[in-house]
Order: sequence, then C-alpha cells, then structure tokens
Amino acid sequence: MTFLAPAAAFFALTLPAIVALYFLRIRRPTRVVPALNLWPDQVRDRQANVPWQRLRFSWLLLLQLLAAAVLVAAAMQPVLSAGTSLARHSVVLLDVSASMQARDVQPTRLDEAKKEVGAIIDQLGPQDRMTLVAVGPVPRIVASVVGDRDALHRALDELGASNGSADLSSALTLAAGLVRPGDDARGYLFSDGIVGPIRTDTSSSLPFPVEYHPIGVSGENIGLTSLVVRTSAQSRAAYLHVQNFGQQARTFSLEWRADGKLVDVRQLTLASGVAQDLALPVPSGATVVSAHIDAGDVFSLDDTVTAVARAPSTFRVLLVTPGNVFLQQALALRADLQLDVVAPADYKSSAPYAMSIFDRFSPPGLAPGLPPTLPNGPFISIDPPPGSPLAGGAAIGVGRVRATDAGDPLLTNVDLNDVHIARSQDLRNDTFGRVLITSLQTPLVLVRDEPFRQVVFGFDLHESDLPLRIAFPILVQNLSEWILPPSVPSHSFHPDEPVTIVPETGATSVTVVRPDGSRRALAGGAVATFGETDLTGLYTVEQTVAGGTNRSWFTVNLFSDQVSQLKPADRITLPPYNNAVAVNAVHRGQLEIWPWIALGALGLVVLEWLAFHRGL
Amino acid sequence: MAALLDPPLLRRLEGLALQVRRSVSGQMGGERRSNARGRSVEFADFRSYSPGDDFRLIDWNAYARLDRFMLRLFVAEQELPLSIFVDLSGSMDWGRPNKAATARRLAGAIAYVALAALDRVRLTVFAAGPTSGGAPYRGRRAVAELFSRLQSFPAGGPTDYARLVWPIARQRPGMTVLISDGLGDSPIEPAIAALGSARQEGAVLQLLAPQELAPDWNGDARLRDAETEVEREFTLTPATRAAYVGALARRTQEIERAAHRRGLRFACLSTDQPIEDMVFQALRRLGLLR
Repeated sequence: MTFLAPAAAFFALTLPAIVALYFLRIRRPTRVVPALNLWPDQVRDRQANVPWQRLRFSWLLLLQLLAAAVLVAAAMQPVLSAGTSLARHSVVLLDVSASMQARDVQPTRLDEAKKEVGAIIDQLGPQDRMTLVAVGPVPRIVASVVGDRDALHRALDELGASNGSADLSSALTLAAGLVRPGDDARGYLFSDGIVGPIRTDTSSSLPFPVEYHPIGVSGENIGLTSLVVRTSAQSRAAYLHVQNFGQQARTFSLEWRADGKLVDVRQLTLASGVAQDLALPVPSGATVVSAHIDAGDVFSLDDTVTAVARAPSTFRVLLVTPGNVFLQQALALRADLQLDVVAPADYKSSAPYAMSIFDRFSPPGLAPGLPPTLPNGPFISIDPPPGSPLAGGAAIGVGRVRATDAGDPLLTNVDLNDVHIARSQDLRNDTFGRVLITSLQTPLVLVRDEPFRQVVFGFDLHESDLPLRIAFPILVQNLSEWILPPSVPSHSFHPDEPVTIVPETGATSVTVVRPDGSRRALAGGAVATFGETDLTGLYTVEQTVAGGTNRSWFTVNLFSDQVSQLKPADRITLPPYNNAVAVNAVHRGQLEIWPWIALGALGLVVLEWLAFHRGL
Repeated sequence: MAALLDPPLLRRLEGLALQVRRSVSGQMGGERRSNARGRSVEFADFRSYSPGDDFRLIDWNAYARLDRFMLRLFVAEQELPLSIFVDLSGSMDWGRPNKAATARRLAGAIAYVALAALDRVRLTVFAAGPTSGGAPYRGRRAVAELFSRLQSFPAGGPTDYARLVWPIARQRPGMTVLISDGLGDSPIEPAIAALGSARQEGAVLQLLAPQELAPDWNGDARLRDAETEVEREFTLTPATRAAYVGALARRTQEIERAAHRRGLRFACLSTDQPIEDMVFQALRRLGLLR
C-alpha cells in the first residue's frame, strides 16, 4: 500500500489534541436546582473536572479517536496495487464499430469494453495520463492526454457504437502521432477483433506496445448480407442472401415487405455455416422492398435490409457524331441513358441534355462568325476539330498507352495493356484538366471536375484499337457514371460511406430525409457528397424542380460478411513495437481505497453521535 | 393586599365555599353544620330535661302530651377551622413563575374563600421549622392582615417536614391545606401522616415550576441545591434528562399515594397555570372548593 498524499499525516496531530481536550478542565455554568437529590448521580467524567487528572476510559473518546484516525488515513489517500500494468501515458483504442453492438456479452460488447476501460481509468495514478481513441469508420480522439479521471469517465460514457466498420489502421496512426519519442506509453486495444486489415503504411512500427483485450464470446448470428433488385423484360425480382454464421442450426421466419406492406413470410432453417439465396417477388409499382428475419440472435443490425425497387429515372444524352457505332453501343449498355444521336449538321444547342458527347465535332459559336463555344454542362469531347477551344496541337504519333494513376477510380477494371493509338493531338500544353490516360509522347485523355465534369479525348477512336478492347465499354461506363451518377444508385451503400448526389437539371433545393426522419439540406445546383449515412435503412432525396418535388431513394445496409460472422478474434496481428522510440517502464495500476475509508469514518462519526445521545 | 390578589378575583372568590365531607366542630358559631347541638333553625332531636338546661328550649307541647319535660334540640351551626400550611423553603423560591409567590397567592385565595364564609383560618408558613402566621383569622376584616402576614415571610432555608408533625397533630379536627413542592432532603410523608392522625380533612397541593418539570437547558453544568447549597458536576444528556424526569415523577407519585392513603385530596399544580385556573378549575375539580 502506498499513499498519494502522505503530507496529510500532519492531521494526525488532531489525535493528541482530542486527548488533550479530555485532560483540560471544562468550564461549567452553575445552575440552581430545587432538589439536587432528584438529579441522577451520573456525572460523566468524559472530560476532566480538575486539570490534568488521570484520563478515564470513555467510549466516546475511543470513538472520536478512531474517527479522527480513520479520517486522517483517508486524507492520506492510500492506494492498493492493482493488477493492470500501466505506463505513464495509456493510449486506449476502443472499438466502436457495428460488431460491438453484439449482445453475446451483456448488455453489449461495447458496454463490456467500456467497463474494462473504466477499470483502467480508476487505476490511473496522479502522474498518469490517458488518451482515449474511438475506433470507428473515422477514428477520433475523445480524450487527449488527460489525467482527470472524472473527465475520462465522462468522455467514455458519451461513446456510442456506430454502424460502420472499424478503421484500426487510421486509429493506430492517429494514436502514434500523440506519442512523442521518449514517452513512456502503452496502448490498449479493446475490440472484438473485427476490424479492417492493417494497411501497409501503418504496419511499419508503433512507438508503443499495444495489448489486445478481446471482447465477446460468441459468433452465433444469422445475417442478411445482400439484397438486390433485378429488372428483366418480363418482371422484377429481388435476390436475398441469408447466411447462418453460427455453430448451431437455426429455424427462423423471414418477412418480405414492399413499401411497408407484408408480401410474404417464410420459415427458413439453416445449418451451421450454410447460406441460402432467395428469389423474392417485387410487386409492380413498389418503391422499396425490405426483408427482416426474427432470428433471436445476438446481433440485430444485419437482421433487416432494404433495397430500392423503383426503376431508375433516365438521363437524356446527346451524341453528335458523323458516325461512331462503337460509341453508340458502349453508351447503350447503360439502361438509364436515353441517347439522341444527331449528325453535326443537325446540331442545335437549345435542347437540354444531361450530358453531351461531341465526336470530332465542336459546337458552333452563338452567332455566325463568332468562335465556337463550349456547352455549359457536362460533356465528352472526342478528337475536337481544329478551331475548337479544346483542340490541341498538331497530331503526333503515339507509342505505348498507360494510365497516369493505376488506382484512379475512373480506370477501374480498365486494362490498357493491349491498347494502341496511331496518333493523337498534342495535348502536352493543354490546361484543360488532369491527365487520365497518357503516353510517352502526349497526354491522351484529360478530365476535370469544375465547372462541370468534362472529358477530352485527344485522338479519334477510329485511329485506335481501343474500341475493340473490352476496356472501351468499361471506360465509357466509368466516365458516364462519373459524369452522370445514377439518380437512384443501383447498389446499397455501407454505413458511413459517402453518397454522391447529382441534382436534377433545374433543381432549386435538395434535401435528404434519413431513416430516422431527420432532414439534411444540401446545396442545390451542384454535385454534393452526403456523408451522414451512419444509420441503416432508406434515405429519401427530395429535389424541388419547377415548383414540384421529385423524390429518389438510396439505401444503406450493413452487408458485410466480415461483421456478420461476428466471431471475436482471439488475436490480432498488430504492427510491431519499435522500442527504440519510446521507453517501456510500466508500473502497476493503483486502486484508491480512500472513499471506502472515508465511508467508514462517516460510520464512526454516526456511531459517536449515537453514543453521545445514549449517554455512553 | 392588592399585590397578592386582584379585587376582581376576590369578588369572584366570594362565590366559592370550602367543601367539607363531614360535619365540623368549631369554637364559635358559623355557617357549617356541627356535630354539636346548638342554636339554629334546623330541628335535630328531643331529649329529657336535666336541671341546669335552658328551660327556654323545653317543648311545652310535648309536656302537655307526655307530662314530661322534653327539650327540643337543634343542629348547631359552627365555624370551620381551616389551617393552611405554606412551604416557603429555599426550593420554593425558584422557577418562573416563582413557586413561593404562587404558593402565597394560592394560600391567600383559599383563605379568602374561608374568611368570606366566616370560617376561622390559621396560617402557618414553614421551612426549616413552622412559623405561626399569628392568631386565627375570622371574618373579612381579617383578610388584609392575613394577606399582609402571608407576604411578610421571606422564602429560604432547608425544608424539615418532620417539624410540622407537632403543629399538625395538636389541631382540632377540621380542614388543613398543605401547599408545598414536596421536595427537600427530609420526606414529606410524616407530615401527611400527622394530618391523617389529627382527623384533618383537606388537601396536599404540590406546586412545581415548568422548568423543573422539563429542564430547559442542556450540556454541562454545576448544579447547586437551592436549599442546602450543595454543588455537583453534571451533564444533561437525553439519558440523564430522562432519569431526572423519572425521579421527579416518582416523587410526585409517592406524595400522591401518601395523601390518598390518609384520605386527603392531592393535586400537582404547575406555576405557569393562572391562579384563576388553579382555584376555579383544579381545586373545584379536586372537591376542595365548590
């Protein structure tokens, strides 16, 4: 046992002071009474009647001495050595991801983890500090190098579980930034181990060792991990994927609803580890379909899934070309595009289009004789003719074609290895935008976001074998979906995943209604990114166009096999600890017991009060 | 006189009278029925004439019928001898209102009722010993002197109830009222026993101050006996307070039992009670006055 405030032992002088008070003669006022013989002869000699008389035993004196001694002991703040090894700076990484909502430990994994973190906070010594990092989709520091245990408890209590995944890599990077070289630091990870993979940039080394405290005991869960609605020429159907991630066979009921109305109920039995795909009917005219299972498992976030059933609205797209069958076919693959193909001679700039594609064509000037002007909107310009504001320099021969950034989302699944281009305009001096595809001789494809999403191809497609490659329709699809994201996304989003919302032409206001009914207004007239997708369920996008309200929808579902499998990991491969950076001088945690001693002192004082009134 | 009892109270007291349970025998005529035969309008009996009898009492009608001298006897109406013993010891000179002052007023009120009814009143104050209040008082003319004497005696000194035995015992049968707090080192029981032996009909009135019925202080003190001036260290706690109150209650019960055993009335009065309430309520309820 050690004492946090040994100087408080000074107050022990009160003990001899109490005894001295019993030695000293007290001053008694004289009171005349009619008959002294009626008064009991019980003069309690607690205090001396003559100065410095011999001290007599008194229960009251004993209790007062005891109470004073216990109070002095409490003031010295004795602490016991606790079981946890603590550094001067404890970095607690608390997993607040979706899987921490599992109830395999009561009440939830997160509450159990918070209880364990609370126990560490209670063991912090006066010199110890703690940093508390909530490990969610976006890690955040809720307490930074704090020594105040009350403040740490308050910060801990305010933490709640998110529906997203745990980005442990970012959390470790964040925590590592808080520890300076030479710090005596130690990390504690409270998690069920269901975290994203450790990225390579994180795994170099950490400036402190991390202890993994696994939370959770069971992976018994049945989850709905996919729901998509497919539209064919004949009908529409939904395909649902349900899987038993647990170790026991389970029988449960599945409710299938369209626009909130019950369509079908099925009894399902799934053996351990078995998945089943179900084809479910989608009534015509239905906007939203949802599936719910009543499996009675420990995790409810994947028991309900939602999908948008309404067919997406179409965009009008203008293709001005002297003739390009490759381009026409590639654009026709996208069902929500209504393609108008016109010859250059028939081009009129008045018709409103969501996107224009100019193949070897440049829109003429606003008036005869004026230079050509670019349309004020999204477009793809292919091999702009001389005189166009987009035209580059003289054509030059092109060698090997390659991507500027292989990880660019616009080139996802686009293989440029076998693509050859005879020649291209010289775009080296072009300031249109960033280069998407390039060659040793000249940039080939340029893209830009402002003022609108626009693309320029510097070469004629017919002077290339690109249209003959599988990469071409994929590239066209990627570019068109980047310029015109589907108004109703065909897929579901994950919690906390940002959603790009493209306002309709002429939309004056855009509002997103979340599943809980709360509304978020977005800036109208521009492409917006909506990030408040932490809740699962149906989101409604309301756009005011010409006085009317157009509604579109998207859904957010967990849809994560990794989370739904729910089984806590016994161990996690964490980045190595670089002990050259920080010292690792751990000490035992301290458990303060003075509140209990103070409580005992209070009891003694009450006892002394009772003894006084009982005349002891 | 005015300082002892107010004139309005005196006027109200004239409507009261002492109530006796048995006939009395006084020395002088009064308004009380006596055991003796005497002059009054109330016929009592006949008896044969003996030489020396007042021949004015011979019933001549009886002589005509019986040829014997018969005397008509009438109930004699005599005075009531009332003795009032007032404790003016040191323990009575205590309390708010003061017990001695209250005892004087109470004694004065009872004496006034008796004097107004032509009863004879003998006043005795006592502390360490009895002190005669002078010759017996009779008639309203004596009220002023009695009140004056009552107020002239100072209070103080120890109480010795044993020294009351002789003055009580030598009294003729009659009524005696003993006003005291019953406290002191010597017991009051011998005096009460003497009252019974002397065939006294009367009452023991115990006077206590509210501060001694419920002490109004706490903590440490040096207690000094009002009579003996003996001192003692003391601490008043709930426990010792209960012990004191219990002892006082037992003392009161002992006095009450002793009085009842001798056929005497008993009342314990608090000095915070107005004198009117004591006389018109407590003493009437007690049957001492009517």
